[in-house]
This record gives sequence, structure tokens and C-alpha cells, in this order.
Amino acid sequence: MDFIEFGMTWMPFLLEGVGVTLGLWAVAMVLGFCLALLLVWGRVYGSKPIYLVATTYVEVFRGTPMLVQLFFIYLGLPEIGIVLDPFSAAALAIGLNTAAYQAEYFRGAIQSLPSGQMVAARAMGMSRFQALRDIILPQAGRRVIPQWSNEAVVELKYTSIAYAIGLTELTARAEQVGYQTFQFLEAFTLVAIIYLVLTGIVAQSLDLLERKTRIPGLTYTGGKME
Amino acid sequence: MSDNPILRVRDVRKTYGGVEVLKGVSFDLERGQSKIVIGPSGTGKSTLLRCINLLSPPDSGSVILDGVTVEERGINQIRAQIGFVFQEFNLFTHLRVLDNVRLAQRNVLGRSKREATKRALEELERVGLSDKLEAYPAELSGGQKQRASIARALAMDPKLILFDEPTSALDPELTGEVVQVMKDLANAGMTMLVVSHEMGFAKAAADEVIFMEGGVIVEQGPPSTLFTCPEHARTSQFLRMITHEHEEG
Repeated sequence: MDFIEFGMTWMPFLLEGVGVTLGLWAVAMVLGFCLALLLVWGRVYGSKPIYLVATTYVEVFRGTPMLVQLFFIYLGLPEIGIVLDPFSAAALAIGLNTAAYQAEYFRGAIQSLPSGQMVAARAMGMSRFQALRDIILPQAGRRVIPQWSNEAVVELKYTSIAYAIGLTELTARAEQVGYQTFQFLEAFTLVAIIYLVLTGIVAQSLDLLERKTRIPGLTYTGGKME
Repeated sequence: MSDNPILRVRDVRKTYGGVEVLKGVSFDLERGQSKIVIGPSGTGKSTLLRCINLLSPPDSGSVILDGVTVEERGINQIRAQIGFVFQEFNLFTHLRVLDNVRLAQRNVLGRSKREATKRALEELERVGLSDKLEAYPAELSGGQKQRASIARALAMDPKLILFDEPTSALDPELTGEVVQVMKDLANAGMTMLVVSHEMGFAKAAADEVIFMEGGVIVEQGPPSTLFTCPEHARTSQFLRMITHEHEEG
């Protein structure tokens, strides 16, 4: 019962942090999505130099810790005159990082489509751009939803690393509650529940989207399309 | 032979991974004519079709469609005039049958939605799929898929249609419906180049048979001549083999 009272008292304070967390997540995911489209273009259809640039990007961002990337941007870049506030630095770090992962998921979805789809489109006189826009993207887009959903949930949790550069998001607020009340167990239980609800909503929404846009013969099977 | 064939193929050569698949192939296709290409597998028949619309550009030689040389420049406009029917159908998985037949009419030919719908409905009726407009490809049988893909090619009003083993991926009991559609097309005056071993189609609807082996045309002629008294021993050998297979099957 004490926990419920504790929750009622501190929930409004924590919910203010939810706004920052969701804002950070949304900006990072959109940034990552746009950049991922460019990367996947380079990885799948780019000329050799473009392919190499895109591949290097993906390997660097997947091969180093996100915290290092965040410190590089927030603490390192000021040395060359680029100073960002904590929110922008965190959004940029998470966005650049998720772009590498999203690009890989898009690439997997595109390459799992039977090559005959592109061939048939080109044989009818469509340009490569038309074939990508009208055939490949609508198919790959549907197939990538489950993995993209997973990535969205992972990044929602990763927004907590912004705590390390002093952004008062959800996790930081939970810590503040802990120090004010010395009830750390309750504070972090509460914040865990909030994260769980948020990730649950994201996963369920994308699952609904996946079911609403499902087309026979195009469902995700974890491997090649039937 | 007229002086103005719809398709003129001259000395087309193609090498794949060090192997010369086509060693100089030449033939003409007249307007309204249907020719069937037969021959052992690995003989370059499908490669020949893909060389015609540059899905697989030839190393040398020329392809002339209705007086215009087929080349990379302006290839999309040329491909729009050449229908292509694939062994594996290749219907667009995410589109219903009607949209499969409408899409390229819209984005390649620039037709209005109304016009594209009208043409799609006409061709889908012709192949007997008027009741499947809203179905997705995965909900169709193999024979229905292939008929839909023929309608998709026809709706573009092509100058000719290339068929790449259109019945090879079908269960035997489903080949009949596709062959019937192809016979009707040939009889209605569609210009067709068909790679297939469907003897039913060859005998009933082909104007000429081309026998290919080892990357060259061994001989060609009307089915009545080529099937009854072929000039070359290899042709009669091959014909014996496939008729034998059909009888066993």
C-alpha cells in the first residue's frame, strides 16, 4: 500500500520525464529512418565508392558502444567548435546509431524479396526508381515491420543513456526521486513499470500496423519469402 | 519474308562466365506470326529472349524492333512495347490482380486510372479471370497466376510478347488452361515468340518452329515440315526424345 501512495506522490514528477524521453526517442527514430534509407540505397544499389562509404558507416556505428558515440559528440566535438545541448547531442547520437541498424534491417528485407519482382518491373519498362517506389519499397516495408518494431523498442530504452550527459529524462528523474526519498527500490520499480508500459504500447501499435497491412504471400517468415 | 518484320535479330552473341551461350543467332519475326523455340536445356533459349529486351544485353549483334534498334538509350520505352511472360509468373506480390494489370499502364504508359482499368478489365476477361480482380497473387493457382501475367502483358498493347517457358512451373493438370489462352492469342493475330516444349501449342498455333542447340539455330520451318521430316538428325533425335517423355508423362 505504501508503494501505491509513493507512486501517487511521485508519478507526476516522473511523467514530466516521459515527455523528454519520448521526444528524444521520436527525433532519433525519424532521423535514423531517413538516414537509413540513404544508407540502404548505398549498400544495395550504390556504386562501389558509395557502397564502401555506407558500409563503413554501418560497421563503425554497430561496432562501437553508443555511450562512446554520445561522449564523442557531446564532449569531443566542442574541441572542434561544434557545441550541442544535451538533448540535441543525445538525439543525434541515438539517431546516427539506430540508422546503422535500421539500414541493415531494410537491406535484409529488400534482399529477401525474389529477384523476379524487380526483373518483371524492369521488363515492363519501369525505371529503376519506379520499380523501387512502386514494387520494392511497399513489399520490403511490410516485411521489415517486425524487426523495425524491435529496433524501436530497443532505442526507446537506450534513450536512458542521455542521463550520462545530464539530460533530465525519465531515468534521471527516477534517480532524483531516490535521493530525495531514499526509497531507491520504489523509485526504480516505478520507472521500470513506466518503461514497460511505453515499450508495450510501441510494440503493440507496430504489431497492429503489421497485421493491418498484411498481404497474403508477403508475411515475415524470418528468412526468404515464399 | 517481308522487308519489314516486327522483330529482326541479327548475329546475337552472348557469353556468360566464359561460356558462349549464344553463338550468333539470327531470325525474323513477322507481324502476327507466332514462333516457338525448342531445344535441349542450357541451349540459350531463355538467354535469347532476355537479349531481345536487354534484360541481359547481348555482347554483339543487333535487335531491331519495328525498324528501331534496341539499345540502352530509351530502353524503357522499348520494353513497354515488348510483353514478357515469365516461367515463374513474377506477379507483383503486394498488388491485387487488377492492380497488377493496371500498374505499368499508369506509371510507364501514363494512362489515366479510368483507361487503365478499362484495358485491365478487358484483358482479364479475355483470360477468364474476371472473378479474381480483388485476389492477391498468393491466392491464385499457378494456372491463374500465369493467365493474370499474360493479361498484364496484353494490357500494355505490346507489339509482340515473349514467353519464357510459360508452362514449365505449372502442375501438368494446369498447363491446359494456359496453353488454351496462348492458342487463342496466336489465332487472334498476336505476334509471339515462345520458348516452350508444349507440343500442343507448337502443332496447333505456331507458324514456325525454331530448333536451337548449342547456342545456334539448327533449323527452322513450319511445324508440319519440321515435325514430320526434319532436315537434321539432331532435330529428329530431340523430337523423338520429347515425344517419348510426353507419352511417358
